[in-house]
Amino acid sequence: MEEKRKAMVPKTIGVKTVPVSSLYPNPHNPRLLFDREPLKTLKASIKKVGILVPLTVYRDSARGHFVILDGQRRWICAREIPLDDVPVNEVAEPTLVQNIVTMFQIHKLRADWELMPTALKLELLMNELNERNDAKLAVLTGLPEAVVTRCKKLLSYPKDIQDLMLNQDPDARVKADFFIELYPVIHDRVVAKFDWFSRPRFTEQMLGKYGPDRPIRSVTDFRLIKQHINNARRTGKLRELSNRLKTFAEDKPTPVSHLQIASASVAAAARKLVSDLDKISNAIRHLDVDQYYGEEKLWETLTTFVKVAQKKLKEADQRVQ
Amino acid sequence: MKRPLAAGTGISLPRISDWVDNFGSYRHQVTDAKIERWLRQFASRDQDLAARLLDVIDFVGHTQMSQLFRQMLGAIPGWNRNPKQRHGRWRFAPYSTSAGQSGDAMIHSFRLANNLDGKVNDELFIRPRDLLSEQLQADDTVVLIDDFSGTGQQVCESWERPLQELLPSEPRSFIMLLAASAAARQRIIDQTPLRPIIGFQLNHADNIFHAACTHFSKAEKNVLLQYCRKASGRNPGGFGDCGFVVVFAHRCPNNSIPIFHKKGRNWSGLFPRHD
Repeated sequence: MEEKRKAMVPKTIGVKTVPVSSLYPNPHNPRLLFDREPLKTLKASIKKVGILVPLTVYRDSARGHFVILDGQRRWICAREIPLDDVPVNEVAEPTLVQNIVTMFQIHKLRADWELMPTALKLELLMNELNERNDAKLAVLTGLPEAVVTRCKKLLSYPKDIQDLMLNQDPDARVKADFFIELYPVIHDRVVAKFDWFSRPRFTEQMLGKYGPDRPIRSVTDFRLIKQHINNARRTGKLRELSNRLKTFAEDKPTPVSHLQIASASVAAAARKLVSDLDKISNAIRHLDVDQYYGEEKLWETLTTFVKVAQKKLKEADQRVQ
Repeated sequence: MKRPLAAGTGISLPRISDWVDNFGSYRHQVTDAKIERWLRQFASRDQDLAARLLDVIDFVGHTQMSQLFRQMLGAIPGWNRNPKQRHGRWRFAPYSTSAGQSGDAMIHSFRLANNLDGKVNDELFIRPRDLLSEQLQADDTVVLIDDFSGTGQQVCESWERPLQELLPSEPRSFIMLLAASAAARQRIIDQTPLRPIIGFQLNHADNIFHAACTHFSKAEKNVLLQYCRKASGRNPGGFGDCGFVVVFAHRCPNNSIPIFHKKGRNWSGLFPRHD
C-alpha cells in the first residue's frame, strides 16, 4: 500500500520563480471557495516576508501553462497583493489518477461538497488501480473510510440515477443523502426477495414520493421504513409486509405509517420492554440493601413498581407467585 | 416573437384552427376545446388580448428543432460525419439529467436530426456521470445539449459545481442550446469556458414586458401581468423575469410567462410542463 501511495506522488523537476499570471488553478481541486479570514492572515504574512514555501506546480503539456498542485491559497494572495512572480517547485505532469489522489490528499473532504463527483473520482481510481478495499482506498485518498463506503453506495445505483445527483438545476438535483439512506431499504434481503420488487423501479417510486408535501418528507424517513421492515421480519409478517410495501411504493399518496404492521410493532415494543425489564431486574437483584437502606424514595418507587406489575399480571390472567 | 393579428380581429374558427395547427404537436396535445377553455380564463374584455398573445408565441416544433440541431452541429468547428476526419474524440451528453427532462429529449431529437441514431454512433453519446471516466483531453471535444437558457444562471452554477470537476483535462467544451437569451449567452461566455452554440437568440424585444416589445401597449402589458400574477405569484414574469413567449414541442420553458404553463388552483396553462 505504501508503494502504491508513493507511486501516486509526481516526481520533482526543480525549484524556480515564475510569473503569477502563468499559473492556473487545478481543475481537480474540489475546493472552489476559500474562507476570507484565513486568506487575510496569509496575505498579511506574504506581504511581510514573501512566499517562503514554493507552490507545487506542473506544466500542462496540452496547454503549456503551469497548473497548481499545492498552494492555491498562496497563489490567490499573490494575485491580490499583487506580486509579479512566485517561487514554484515544478514536478512532472501527473497522470489523471495521480492528480486526483493529490487533490484528495491536500484538500480533504468538506461537508458542503457534493458527494457524487467525489464518488466518480473514486470509481476512476478503483478502476485504474484495481483496488476495491474501503480501508485501503481511504489510506490512498485520505478520505474517511465512511466516506469511501458512502461513495461506493452511490456508485451501486444505475447510471441514470447517478445523473440525478449531477442535475444542472440545483433545485431538481437529488442530494446524495437520499440514495445513501434509501440503500439499506432496497438492499434488505427480505425485500429483495419479494416477487414484485425491482430496485430501479422502487428507487424511481421513492423519488416520486419524496418532497416537502409528499409522504417522504425527509431522507431520514427511510430509517423508519427500514425499522418497519425489520419489525415485520422479526414477527414473520412477511406476506403482509410485501403487500403493504407494494401499495406504499405504487400508490404515491400512501404514507410511511401504512408500513407499520400493528402486531409487528407491538412485538418490537415488547422486545424493547423485555430488554429494559431484564436490566432493571438485574439491577434490583444486585442491590445491596444495607447500602441503600435509607433511600426512602427508592423503596417507595420499588413498591409502586411491584404493585403495577402485579396488577398488570392479574389483568393478563398471569399467575402471581 | 411573431407579429400578432390586429387588435379586434375576432376569435374565428379559422384562427383557432391555425393555433391548433401551430401548437398541436405539444406533448400535451393542444385542441380547439383546450384553447377555448384557456381563453375563457380571461375576462371577456381581455380575450382579444389573450388571442393576440397566442399569435405571438414562438412555437418550436419537431421539424424546426431538427433543422436547428443540424445547423448547430455544422457550426461546431472540427465536426465531421466521418470519424477519421474529426480531430480528437467527440462526446455528446445531456445537460439536464432528471429522468425524462429536456436534456434526454434533446439528445434523442439531436441524434435523429443528424442521422446519428445508429448503434455505430452510440459511443458518441454518454451520460454526464461518464464524463470523468471518459478522461477527455485538451484535443477532445464535448458537447453538452439542452433546450433553453433564459438567464444563464443554471448553466453557470452547474458548471462551477459539479460539471467542471468531471472535465478536469479541459477538453473543448460546447453547450448547445436550441434557444437562449443574449444575456444568458454573455453570462456563459463570461463565467465558464463553455462555448455556447445557440439555435436562435432572444433579445429584449422577445420579453413581452420589456419596453422594446412593441406588439402590446403598456396598458395591455399591465393587464397581462395581472393574469400572470394570478398564475404564479412567485414568478409572474417567468423565471428570471424573462417574459418570453417561447414554447418547445417537448416542453414549455419556465422562463416563458406562467399563463402559458402554470397549472394550479387559479390557473390552467395551455402548455403544462409536467404530467
